[in-house]
Parts: sequence; C-alpha cells; structure tokens
Amino acid sequence: MKVPDHVPPELVRDFSYWSAPGMPPSRGGDPQGALASLHDGPPIFFAPENSYDGHGTWVIVRAADQRRVLQDATTFSSRRQLFEKALGEDLPTIPLEIDPPAHGAYRSLLNPLLSPKRVMAMEAANRERAVELIEGLKGKGRCEVMEDFAFPFAVGVFLQFLGLPQSRRQEFLGWADKQLHGTPEERGEAIRTVIAFMRELVELRRREPAEDFMTFVVQAEVDGRKLDDREAVGMGALLFIAGLDTVAAAIGFDLRHLAVHQEAQAQLRADPAGIPLAVEELLRAFSTVLVTRVAARDTELNGIFIKAGDRVSCPSMVANRDPDEFPDPNRIDLRREDNRHVAFAYGPHRCLGSHLARRELVIAIEEWLRRIPTFRISEGTAPLTHGGHVFGIQDLELAWN
Amino acid sequence: MRIKVLNEKCQGHARCAAQSPEIFRLDDDGFILPGDIAVPEGQERTAWRGAKSCPERALVIEDD
Repeated sequence: MKVPDHVPPELVRDFSYWSAPGMPPSRGGDPQGALASLHDGPPIFFAPENSYDGHGTWVIVRAADQRRVLQDATTFSSRRQLFEKALGEDLPTIPLEIDPPAHGAYRSLLNPLLSPKRVMAMEAANRERAVELIEGLKGKGRCEVMEDFAFPFAVGVFLQFLGLPQSRRQEFLGWADKQLHGTPEERGEAIRTVIAFMRELVELRRREPAEDFMTFVVQAEVDGRKLDDREAVGMGALLFIAGLDTVAAAIGFDLRHLAVHQEAQAQLRADPAGIPLAVEELLRAFSTVLVTRVAARDTELNGIFIKAGDRVSCPSMVANRDPDEFPDPNRIDLRREDNRHVAFAYGPHRCLGSHLARRELVIAIEEWLRRIPTFRISEGTAPLTHGGHVFGIQDLELAWN
Repeated sequence: MRIKVLNEKCQGHARCAAQSPEIFRLDDDGFILPGDIAVPEGQERTAWRGAKSCPERALVIEDD
C-alpha cells in the first residue's frame, strides 16, 4: 500500500469500493447499505488503493463535508483527465471536466436542453416507450427486469435524445460496460472506441444536420464563436458515459425494493400520487455514483491537510446515509419529506440530466405498478448487485401471477 | 415570512419549484429568479417545505 508522506497514518484505512465488505458482485447484496457503517468511523480517511487503477483517495463520509468539497469547484477540481491516458491526447469531457469560470459558458449552453420544461416536453414519448416495453412482457408472468425493461427503456430515452439509432443499443451498452467496469486495458479500448464514434458523429452532423443533440452542439456558439471538434466530441463523450446506465441501475434497485417490501409496493399502488416523493427516497437510499475531485492546490478540510493533486472521493450513497442529515438513515421511508439527498451531487457540476432522470424513474414506477400486478423476486433467484466505479444491479428476476 | 434567495448558490436542482411553482419561480433553464420572496399569507407551510428542499441551501427562511 502506497501512502503519501503527508497522510497521517491514523487516517489510513484499508478500504476500496471494489473490495470492502459488500462491494464485490454478490447475489442478494446491498452495496449502498454496506457502506452506511462508514459513519461509525472517521469522517474523512485515506484509502491507499481506492480506484480502478490503484490510486489512493481521500474518502469524504459526511454530507456537510461533501457539500464543502463539491460546492468549491475551484479548490476541488473535476479536471481528472479521464481520457487523457487512454488517448494520449488532452480531451476533456465537457462540461464535467472544465472548472469555473470556463465551465459556466458550456453549462449555460447545455442547461436548456435538459431543463425541467424541456424534460416535460419529452414526457409523452418517454412514457410511450415505457408502456410499450411493459405491455410486451406482462403476459409472460415473469421477466429479467434489467434486460427486458430497465436498459431498453433508459438507454432508449438516452439514444433518442442523442439522435443515435436504437438498433445500436447493445453495441453502445457493451462500450459503456467496459468503460465503467472493465480492466484498465478494456477501459482504454472502450474510451478510444467511443471517441472515434463521436468524431464520426460530429463530422456527420456538420455535413448532414438533423434534429438532435449533436447537430445542436456543432451549430452552437460559446463566447461568440462556434464550438470546435474537440469540444463537440468532449460533450458527446460525457453524455455517453453519464447517461447510459445510471438510470437503468436506479430502476433496478427501485423495483427490487418494491418486490422485497410488499407493504411499500401496496402503499404506492394505493397512492400513485406518492410516487414522485417515493422516487426521491429511493434515489437517496440507492445512489450509484461516486464523485471524485482532485485538489487544485494545497488545502485543508476539517483540520486535515489535503495536498495539491490528491484525489478526493465523495460517495453519494454514503452522504445519503448520514444520520446528521437524515434521521434513521437506513430506514427506507417512501413518505420521507425532508430529503435533501446528494444523488445528483452538489455544486456547479450538479447532474445535468437530473430532471430527465427523475421523470424517467417516476414514469417507470408509475407504468410498472399500473400494468404489472403484485410482483415479487422470482423463487430461487437473487439479484446480482455490485459496488465499484458505478454501483449497480446486473440482473433482477421478477414474477407475478 | 420572507425567503432570502442566494442566487450564487442555486445550481438548478429545481426542488423548490417541485414543491410550489407559484412561490418559487424559475428561469427557462430551471434556476431560481433573483430577488427575495415575500410569502403570501396562508402559504407559509408550502414555502417552508420548498425552502427546506434545496440541496445547496440557497433558500434561507427569515421569519418576520
């Protein structure tokens, strides 16, 4: 274990999102619940091998401290050069890997595309997509939710937004899977594939404009000039990694919760108007994203020295189980009202797709409950869950009569 | 009851407007419009819930 000299030994913990208890893939696992016990330990600690490539990170446990980190994007930079090593060239994902003040112009450009109003304009088409999928499987009396519903729905919405053909869904999912969960070699290869694809798409939309995201991007202006190819590719690449499997994972965790907790399922069936509030609680309880920053300068957090270049990890699912902000945090209460969870992060890099993601989850649960009778985990099965770079649920077998 | 709006802290989560679109008015991008909010009588409860829903703590409740 490599521990930098400036890290006090008493703050070092043997921990990683891949190997800690509850993190490796397991049947019937509860990766978010497994990390709740971090609140019994130090509020900030150093984990020497806590990234896919064996780097150490600080881990910020409490919600209030995560807010300090994420709201201060100048000190805690998101310029992580995710793609640089794989590509051998500087190509930031945009706007995530751009710090303020340059970040603002890119973000203002994209905000209207996924604003609450714009998302409501997509509502009917998104709902129709969910209804069609559910109607197609309900007669079977059982299904594997991820393959049969969650991925086709969430990825379908995403591909439509990006203007990419639905026929290539499996191919895109394969790239995303390798990029998020593959070996370092597989990650590199997947990143190069995605970037090459985005370069082609940029070229195509400059030549043949359409009614889609990439056409908007190649025609857009920032600070009075057109975006160049590098910027357009950086935006496409970010949406690809951010949007492809996060919503599907959330749908999986949510439906599993309702399958296991029959009283919660009955409660939402009796009161469908309570679904938006319930979705917030499920977002809190089953967050999947780790937010990582890099200290841009030497700084200090709660009396702990953090050196320029240190990686700082803000696990959303841990902040969301903070007893200081959520009374009885491990109790999942679908009527919980005071619920300022961090599923979509805090600060200027707040998830650009949060409004769309929220509506997708509400639509998915509404239409599922409306069309599928009382459902349960299929006898003899247990869903496969995992921690890691993005927490997830790989399969979920449900049955109904 | 008044609500002080700290626009520089708003990141467009739009949770306040989800509680009450009448009290918390957003721009087209989903960020709160500038200016403190004088809560109409009888709407204190909803306004309180909206202010308390902000993940960034951009809405500060000021009792008269």
